[in-house]
Amino acid sequence: MQQVAAEAEARALERKFDIVVLVSMFLAILSGFHIHQMLTAGDWSFWIDWKDRMWWPVVAPIMDITFPAACQAILWTKFKAPIGATFSCAGLFFGQWMNRYWNFWGWAHYPLNFVFPETLLPQAIVLDGVLMITNNFVVTALIGGELWGWLFYPSNWPMIAPYHVPVEYYGQLMSVADLIQYEYIRTSTPEYIRMVETGTMRSFAGGVLGVSAFFSGFCSVIMYFIWWYFGYFFGWTKFIKHSKV
Amino acid sequence: MAQATTTTTMAIPERSLFSWNRMWLGIGLLSGWYILVNLYERAFAFTKGLDYTSPEYQTYWMNLLLAELALEALAFIAVCTWLWVSRDRNLENISPVEELRRYWNLGLFIVVYTVGLYWGASYFTEQDGTWHQTVIRDTDFTPSHIIEFYQSYPIYIILGVGSFMYAITRLPMFARSFSIPYAVLVGSPLMIFPNVGLNEFGHTRWFMEELFVAPLHWGFVAFGWGALAIMGVWLQACPRVYELIKQVYLGKTATSPSKVMEEPEKSVDPAYCEV
Repeated sequence: MQQVAAEAEARALERKFDIVVLVSMFLAILSGFHIHQMLTAGDWSFWIDWKDRMWWPVVAPIMDITFPAACQAILWTKFKAPIGATFSCAGLFFGQWMNRYWNFWGWAHYPLNFVFPETLLPQAIVLDGVLMITNNFVVTALIGGELWGWLFYPSNWPMIAPYHVPVEYYGQLMSVADLIQYEYIRTSTPEYIRMVETGTMRSFAGGVLGVSAFFSGFCSVIMYFIWWYFGYFFGWTKFIKHSKV
Repeated sequence: MAQATTTTTMAIPERSLFSWNRMWLGIGLLSGWYILVNLYERAFAFTKGLDYTSPEYQTYWMNLLLAELALEALAFIAVCTWLWVSRDRNLENISPVEELRRYWNLGLFIVVYTVGLYWGASYFTEQDGTWHQTVIRDTDFTPSHIIEFYQSYPIYIILGVGSFMYAITRLPMFARSFSIPYAVLVGSPLMIFPNVGLNEFGHTRWFMEELFVAPLHWGFVAFGWGALAIMGVWLQACPRVYELIKQVYLGKTATSPSKVMEEPEKSVDPAYCEV
């Protein structure tokens, strides 16, 4: 009888440690991912008028497949937990929304439909699914990485499409997104600093988005490989003897 | 496996040894404080924080900066000194229950550290993004920098280094060897703070415009990656925790603390985690 009680206590304590591990991992990965994301792809994420069809679908997926790949490398290989990508992207999502709501809107009064973040969750679920089904990170890099790039714009399109409706404003053609940024003054982000598609003499006008998505899928494949091994490094369990430090 | 054949008369530890209270206290103090800081920003950033040359700015913001820097330096020294002076000098003979209890404390310490990391690296860092759009700055010490760089970063650094000090002074696994992932987990976000030096020098001398993705900011990015090392830390600690739980509650044999001190890597075997 005492043995049964002791086992129950042991299980309960193990579950408590599980919670400690999960919560601390969620917050740490959230923080690292968010600082990485905001300083490499943040400007496109902050503003609706930066969410174009040439740079945003290239920069965001390439920069954001990093932490998902690293988390998968540990969570899948060590625990067979098929949540690495979703876990990290949900963390990023939480960090972004807390900030957009309380600060961009709550403090500086930019309307939320100007500053809402992109979503990565559909691609993250696909990436986790591919890894779980194939149990193979090479296949996940090749197929999942491509899908990560391709799916980015379609999964965000329902959110941004309403802002691409044209309006005539003092004789000029503008999208609603352009108009929002025109109306809500950003002191330190003048129009010229915005990196969006402006057309070139070497491009075909109609093919922009598909080409960008394809390119970012290809780059995401490479990034996935790099960051998978990075994940190994961060999950390295080595010690150095004090005498050697 | 050599099984301890003695009857399991070892008393089951009190549940109060593994209480969440200290974690809630830590999170409550930290987050309660930061909510107050948010209120302070909302009250005094637009009213007293728009002009560096005004006397109100000195009163409401520069004094805050000086006070927090002094307090943080004192707190950092105090925490590290106390943890070191009160270190366990007899770790070879630590009892399993006591070791398990310390792992629990370390876990709660790390949770509080990651809450601090969230406020610093996620909340207040992106908050700075919105303040940059609100002012054209006339100083490196903007209200949001005073909170972000010089308050939230030092606070999580104190918590991170504090948890590291706790581990190396109280747990056999970390006492005689230097854990690489733990050093990365604590040391890499720590380096975000010194990197402010590069950032502010660059902004003062070269680039005034606020492209958030400017290469000048990428130092922060590289140091942020270190947070991923929490995976390595738990991969090191968890097998030992499971081993101890089985020893304490189920009477199984476990590696002795002195052996763990000598060869910590041998205790990082996932086989210990099997239920």
